Amino acid sequence: MNQTPDKENFLKLIEENKRIIFKICNAYCSNKHDREDLAQEIIYQLWKSAGSFNSDFRFSTWMYRVALNVAISFYRKAKNIKAIVPISDDLVHVPETSGTHHIHEENINLLQQFIHELRELDRALMILYLEEKSHRDISEIIGISETNVATRISRIKEKLKQRFANINQ
Amino acid sequence: MEEKNIVDIWRSYDQKLEESRILNMQSWVLNLKNFEFLQSQKAKSVLNRLTTGKWFTVILGIIWVVFLVFLILNSLTINKIFFVVSAGMIAIITGIAIVVYLKQIFLIRQINHSNSIVETQDKLAHLKLSTLWVTRILFLQCPFHTTWFLNWEMLKHAPTGLLIFQVAITVAFTFLSVWLYRNISDKNMHKKWFKVLFGGSGWTSLILAKDFIEEIDEYRQDHIA
Repeated sequence: MNQTPDKENFLKLIEENKRIIFKICNAYCSNKHDREDLAQEIIYQLWKSAGSFNSDFRFSTWMYRVALNVAISFYRKAKNIKAIVPISDDLVHVPETSGTHHIHEENINLLQQFIHELRELDRALMILYLEEKSHRDISEIIGISETNVATRISRIKEKLKQRFANINQ
Repeated sequence: MEEKNIVDIWRSYDQKLEESRILNMQSWVLNLKNFEFLQSQKAKSVLNRLTTGKWFTVILGIIWVVFLVFLILNSLTINKIFFVVSAGMIAIITGIAIVVYLKQIFLIRQINHSNSIVETQDKLAHLKLSTLWVTRILFLQCPFHTTWFLNWEMLKHAPTGLLIFQVAITVAFTFLSVWLYRNISDKNMHKKWFKVLFGGSGWTSLILAKDFIEEIDEYRQDHIA
């Protein structure tokens, strides 16, 4: 992307990455109104930062950096001015469909809840891991070493496994 | 729960988002036909809001300094030496605070969200903490607020008791301002007097910034405790 991003291309990229943006918003905001504000802020910052996109990096690396940075800043700002809304209150829970899917949907909601309970940086790490980014990509996005990424992911996964195990007991 | 299962759950989240049409709730995001919309969001941007507040303070500060300089220039007589020196010091200290604020605005504008998360967030948290600097500097004005109204005539005819009271107040404010200048730092943030001084929300935001800097430092270390 050059100094002035092409509008049509930009819209296309947003469309292609809408799920990522939505999932990041949902991971850092508990209520609908905040999620919309955050999505707006992320898109604005992506547009504003488009000129600084370095083609040495992949577009997704750049996009994750901008989106997660904006989300963390937004979350921290909200944390300063109000108490965090209890996690279960207003998360976008995936609606249940049929009985056969019930357990699966419960797992999605549980995973979301678990992500919400993580600290800001761990939350970013976990989203990237779940999006199946390589350790190298995660290291570039977060700004820590690959070894560090591996250790931290393994630790978070361990906690997550315990959480699911406790629920299933 | 196997590793693959966790990733599978996350993948199915994608499908469910599509099926349940939750994403369509944000159609305004996805159908940005009028791109000017994005430009209008500039005013709403978090960082822009931050600089707007600081610019407002800088402008008020400049008006205050200009006003003080105007008064000083119209008071350059020996009888008003207390006023000239006091107002001069207040203007200088306010000027330094304005420079610090301008530096903060410059740093905010340098924040690049496409840098790594740790780097960007560390800069933002340090910026928040740097507001302590302005507070420390501004407290140095305190003693001069106890002397600007004095003049030689007043001192010549004032009763001894009043003079002692005046000296005591000025000395107390001098000690207090120097003590605050030396002690307002992130090391003393958890102390009760610090919390009272900065008020509830101001104190909370500073504590959160300090804790986040520590968290980032810990995050950078390869060897996790």
